[in-house]
Amino acid sequence: MSKIPEDLHYTEEHEYVKQTDDPGVVQIGITDYAQSELGDVVYVDLPEVGEKFARMDVFGTIEAVKAVSELFCPVAGEVVEVNEALEGDPSLVNKDPYGEGWMIRLRIRNPAELDQLLTAADYAQHIGE
Amino acid sequence: MALDQQLLEEVESRGDGVAYLRLYRWSPACLSLGRNERASARYDRHRIEKLRLPVVRRPTGGRAVWHDREVTYAVAAPLAAFGSLGESYRAIHFRLLCALRRLGVPATLSSGPPRGARLDIGPCFSAAVGGEIVVNGNKLVGSAQVRARRAFLQHGSILLEGDQSVVLSVTRAFQSAVNTTGLAQTLGRNVAFEEVMEAVLETWARPGEEIETMDSPRVDPGALAFFSDPAWTWRR
Repeated sequence: MSKIPEDLHYTEEHEYVKQTDDPGVVQIGITDYAQSELGDVVYVDLPEVGEKFARMDVFGTIEAVKAVSELFCPVAGEVVEVNEALEGDPSLVNKDPYGEGWMIRLRIRNPAELDQLLTAADYAQHIGE
Repeated sequence: MALDQQLLEEVESRGDGVAYLRLYRWSPACLSLGRNERASARYDRHRIEKLRLPVVRRPTGGRAVWHDREVTYAVAAPLAAFGSLGESYRAIHFRLLCALRRLGVPATLSSGPPRGARLDIGPCFSAAVGGEIVVNGNKLVGSAQVRARRAFLQHGSILLEGDQSVVLSVTRAFQSAVNTTGLAQTLGRNVAFEEVMEAVLETWARPGEEIETMDSPRVDPGALAFFSDPAWTWRR
């Protein structure tokens, strides 16, 4: 069974959104289920701080063995921080997707968009767990 | 590369269940780099340019491939048609396996798990990582994928001759031996592109699927410019 923390929001494309201490900033990464499906992550291509994305824009790519997958921005906003540690150790996405394997922190444009995302229960149903 | 990417984008935007299978060959022969390979550090660009080797960077993952005597395939399909990454990788290889068996090739799908490979360990063909088409443990087909929101592209090389020595000749660091094979070595005779193409087309469709053949569409100039740009080819 994959880990699906109750307090996060999710997309059908397997990204999660986690609140940070700053109420206007969220942390984004991929779910435990997604990292498990991908296998060993060998590279994560992330945006620069300051880049802006609309909801469901591609904000980066992740490469596991043989496959590159696009990463989708669950909510609109501006990147305020990028997880530089993934450049040196992309396997953090496999080891700790909700913690050290986070990808970007985003200042969100419209908090109401969070309500359009999946709950943990919705996501569990989506992946058949 | 531009056309493969174009087919992916078309399937992504259509959303009507149509998928594309493209079979092609390279003229001239060409070195392709994996999307995220650290090519500038790994390969001797000066030597590549001195040898006048054409180079392109793929939109898909994996490592460098020398495309010469091969049948290249590309599948652009809705995600829903072939399932997860692992499922789609194996399903497409299984269809190719059926074609190779028809040609008399004693190929099998390798059973190793698709884990453990790294971007810095050598040519794309140097190791079978699971779900690969192999003959006596040597890779006959090398493939890579890119997955978008609703569609994916998987393309790869069915080697007519299993020679990837060009990749090693332009690689800076020492590389271990490359365990590849080609149809010529496997069958003990020369195998033509057309022979493989016909076998793939004859065995590809599954019940309920229809194949309609078509000529290659016109390549979008923007996509062509993107994949021709050294800034993309040598981005890392």
